[in-house]
Amino acid sequence: MMRFLGIRVALLAPTLLGVLVVTFLLLYVAPGDPVQAMVGERADPETLVRLRRELHLDESLPRQFGHYVGNILRGDLGTSYITRRSIVSELRHRFPATLRLALAAMLFATTLGLTVGIYGAWRPGGWVDRFLTLGAYLGVSFPVYWVGLVLILVFAVQLRWLPPSGSWGFIYLILPATTLGMRSIAVIARMTRTALQEALQSDFIRTARAKGLGEARVLLHHGLRNALLPVITVLGLDFGSYLTGSILTETIFSWPGVGRYVLSAIEKRDLPAVQGSILFLSVLFVFVNLVTDLLYAKADPRVAYD
Amino acid sequence: MACSPGAPSRTLEYYFTYDPRSLDPAFSTDVPTGEVDALLFDNLTQFDVDGRLVPGLATSWEVDPAGSRYTFHLRTNAKFHDGRPVRATDVEAAWLRALSPKSLGGRPWPLYPIRGARAFNKGEAPGVMGLAVADDSTLVVTLEEPLNIFPKLVAMPSTGIVPTPTGDEFDQSPIGSGPWRFVEWSHDDYIVLAKNPAYWGSVPLADSLRIRIIPEPLTQAAEYERGGLSVVEIPFGETRRWEERHGDELERRPTIRDLYIAINTTRGPLGDVRVRQALNLAVDVPTLLQTVMAGRGLQAHGVIPPGITGYDSTRAPFPHDPDSARALLAAAGHANGLSLKLWRSQRPEYARIAQAVQQDLAAVGIQVEIVQRDASSARAAVRKGEADLFLTDWYADYPDPENFTYPLFNSKNAGTGGNYAFMNDPVIDSLTVRLRTTVDDAEKARLARETDARITSLAPWIFLWHPVDLWARSPRVEGWSIPAIFNGQRWQQAHVVR
Repeated sequence: MMRFLGIRVALLAPTLLGVLVVTFLLLYVAPGDPVQAMVGERADPETLVRLRRELHLDESLPRQFGHYVGNILRGDLGTSYITRRSIVSELRHRFPATLRLALAAMLFATTLGLTVGIYGAWRPGGWVDRFLTLGAYLGVSFPVYWVGLVLILVFAVQLRWLPPSGSWGFIYLILPATTLGMRSIAVIARMTRTALQEALQSDFIRTARAKGLGEARVLLHHGLRNALLPVITVLGLDFGSYLTGSILTETIFSWPGVGRYVLSAIEKRDLPAVQGSILFLSVLFVFVNLVTDLLYAKADPRVAYD
Repeated sequence: MACSPGAPSRTLEYYFTYDPRSLDPAFSTDVPTGEVDALLFDNLTQFDVDGRLVPGLATSWEVDPAGSRYTFHLRTNAKFHDGRPVRATDVEAAWLRALSPKSLGGRPWPLYPIRGARAFNKGEAPGVMGLAVADDSTLVVTLEEPLNIFPKLVAMPSTGIVPTPTGDEFDQSPIGSGPWRFVEWSHDDYIVLAKNPAYWGSVPLADSLRIRIIPEPLTQAAEYERGGLSVVEIPFGETRRWEERHGDELERRPTIRDLYIAINTTRGPLGDVRVRQALNLAVDVPTLLQTVMAGRGLQAHGVIPPGITGYDSTRAPFPHDPDSARALLAAAGHANGLSLKLWRSQRPEYARIAQAVQQDLAAVGIQVEIVQRDASSARAAVRKGEADLFLTDWYADYPDPENFTYPLFNSKNAGTGGNYAFMNDPVIDSLTVRLRTTVDDAEKARLARETDARITSLAPWIFLWHPVDLWARSPRVEGWSIPAIFNGQRWQQAHVVR
């Protein structure tokens, strides 16, 4: 296990270097002038030149990249061109909100997804199963943006049960977490249903039943434990994407997380903010994947890493 | 369940679509920062809700006959939120701070007209020789050259008066002397302000003002409909629905804003004024306004919008006349038509406008390819002169005809400064400079009309319209109206009635 962990951590270096190079180059290739975005329409050309010099933007690309990597190695993600605040502190301020939303979405998606999947495997082909399967397909098909706006229209405007924006307590979490988790419910449900159905055909299930175990124990203890393996992988990947890719959900529900920060930084051509955020999110994603792999090993003793 | 922050019944609820860059006036380069700074800070002068220049910290000011030396008389009862009196030395220190090379990346240009300001800004001089404090309540400002808009420039957010030295984190928790004082800022979430009971002017009627950050227009509307916002701007595409459902709550105001298509006058056939006039004649602006914008605009007769000195309502706008457009194109040697690229940003209404213009131009033989980019990329290309046509708008920095002419059409501002048409006309150059420098108000009005007429005749834009703002105001809120200029609403009279 430790060897596996060591290899995975060592592999982080080239992965993150790749991320560094790609984000750095992409933003420099993309059109748009960060300095002009910073000072507005009527700044004089002389000021623009001075600012470019100040920000090292007049230097060669390799030299700029050298500055950037040097700062990263010192643990400094830089300072935003626009807000002039440290990017580390900007991310520190926003990440708890993103984490809160991701955890709530995960909880929501896992609970509903597993319930629907287990029911589908237990009573396959019935009208409830067909209805839930259809729901699962719809959940995958609808874009996040559409789901979010419909939920706002129904639950915030028409029924007035829930607030359409804000982040000040549990009730504010419900709509964004539902929107963010909607796609995962469908995936988890389908994955659980298929895996559990397969497991229920296995010899060890027949043995368990022959030993006289109750159906609930057979289903949940013996069947589900084996069926959960692929679900864990999906959960890990989805949780990683919740943490790193909730830009649309955060925008629709005015959720003050990292996703909105990244979007705003891209729109304003705030190069250090974009690069710092993407690097941070990449590390996070890789870390979540690593944890998922370790959990996978824990859940399935057959998986050997040494 | 946690309570929403700052939510007693006497709290007004407003919103921005994105987080302010900073709360430090020196870095006020975006609209949210400018709006919130107008609440927290005072300037020597300020704009009222109708865009009129009125006294701020200065009770009066006079200019010498040459138009280059201003004397500002400051009120003696103004105090910062920490209780210190505001003196002329504070004004001088605040402006030096805004001009300091350390504030690079801010917005110092409104102060550049002061003698020696640019040299100080570049780090080439230890001070600004044009600033002189005569006594605690008198500041004398000498300019490099006559400039009649200077009292309006010092109403701009970046010239707001801060207590110097400013403390750490001033951009996060500032102290000003404005009608509202700072309470809390949670980034990308909300800003809470409380009324300043010691304000020298009208003390706000409400206890507090919470400014939410809500980027999505439909979420803004939902929040308003649930009672979570005091006012909301209605998106163009939602106009009809709101007129039907909330007609009693709607307020309209024509903006001092131009929506236009800049024609790059240096690119091939677009250098010919006949081609540019043909483009104007080919576009059916009234129909476009009705069908695409739900009538929310006043057709432009020129550059200067209604309400601004120099607006000429007697000048007829370009008519929709495809036959004349074809004739002009033929006379210019383009009887077989032209191919042009129209650049635009991603704003949803721009997509519809661009498509409608594309159809109108196709009808006279001009094939238009629409190039869509994010705003920053589109502007970058336009500044480099790479776009034939560019659909965009111009918001007034300050309500004055100079703001609609000098930055947009003087050849010094070609490309970078706002002159996206790359206009280079000696007559316009001369007129726009004289418009800035005359000290005679009647002469200024005459020059403004003449400049606008000259610009319109040369057709450097496809003149579209001056948008009309449409906002809904909650029936529970009184004393608020749409400001003519972005920093003209200070929320002093607004209050919750039930």
